[in-house]
Amino acid sequence: MSTSFVLRASERGYNKLLSTGQSSSYIAGHPEARLTRHSSFNFGPYQTGHKGFGRLRVFGDEVFSGTGCGYNIHRHHNFIICAFVLKGQLTHINTVGNIDQLSPGDYYAFSAGSGGKHCELNLRSEDTNVIYVWILPDQLLLPPSYSRGRFDPVYERNRLVTLVGNADGALRVSQDVKISRFATDKAVTLEYRLSAQTHGVYVFAIEGQAWVNDLSLSRRDSTGIWGGGDRINLRTGAEDTDLLILESAP
Amino acid sequence: MSNEPFKRWLCLGCGFLYDEELGSAEHGLAAGTRWADVPDDWVCPDCGTPKHLFEMVEIPYASGQPVQRPTA
Repeated sequence: MSTSFVLRASERGYNKLLSTGQSSSYIAGHPEARLTRHSSFNFGPYQTGHKGFGRLRVFGDEVFSGTGCGYNIHRHHNFIICAFVLKGQLTHINTVGNIDQLSPGDYYAFSAGSGGKHCELNLRSEDTNVIYVWILPDQLLLPPSYSRGRFDPVYERNRLVTLVGNADGALRVSQDVKISRFATDKAVTLEYRLSAQTHGVYVFAIEGQAWVNDLSLSRRDSTGIWGGGDRINLRTGAEDTDLLILESAP
Repeated sequence: MSNEPFKRWLCLGCGFLYDEELGSAEHGLAAGTRWADVPDDWVCPDCGTPKHLFEMVEIPYASGQPVQRPTA
């Protein structure tokens, strides 16, 4: 899980899950809700791609379509599950004791630890688009926890903002990872400095056009980089561009 | 009896942990049952993920864990 790669949008895994039939106990919504998932790493029925990236295991670009669509309440252990809402509204319920509603820019970190359940729902008629990232913890069976944050693409544009990890204002998680957002409305060049040379960086283009060490990324393209030294050069296009940058220990 | 250290396996579908040292008595696996001896058709008791989609992890327990101790 420490090999560099380029993953174009169309090369990702794809699953469509319906709220009826075989997956009806898993997928919420009735009668015709459907959930689509583009996976950057192996997950569920998609097992022919990358296994993960460092301490990251799941990267799902998911759309919940149809009122009530989502995941019925289900059980987890250990994984730190992060959700970044891109569009629509996400209702998140967990057994830590939270009922939360998240709008575009909002994000959460739910650490399932010694055991927790959660439910993810789109209660509205328009689509909800969420990126889910699962992180291995650095300790097993931690006390479950939940925290949330907000990224403001207007006030925090044209600069790097760390959302998760060891940084001012970021959600702290029990793992050596850092998740940042870089949203621009003009061409901006940024030198991303890694916390350690042994770390890798996975860059996912949510929107727009960007260049990562001169590799061109379009919407939903991504690249994973290991052994690139202690810095990575990022450049965004003149149009609105939005990058999610995930740094991980090997 | 193998002298190999016990290993820990994590379900990549939900995070369920199988620790060889502890086994999983409620799912019919006695303490000390090696992963290799878990039947190939065994699935995660929480989410149904097949055995081959578990990953061996070298992650320590959090303080106070595991609550369940292996029986002699």
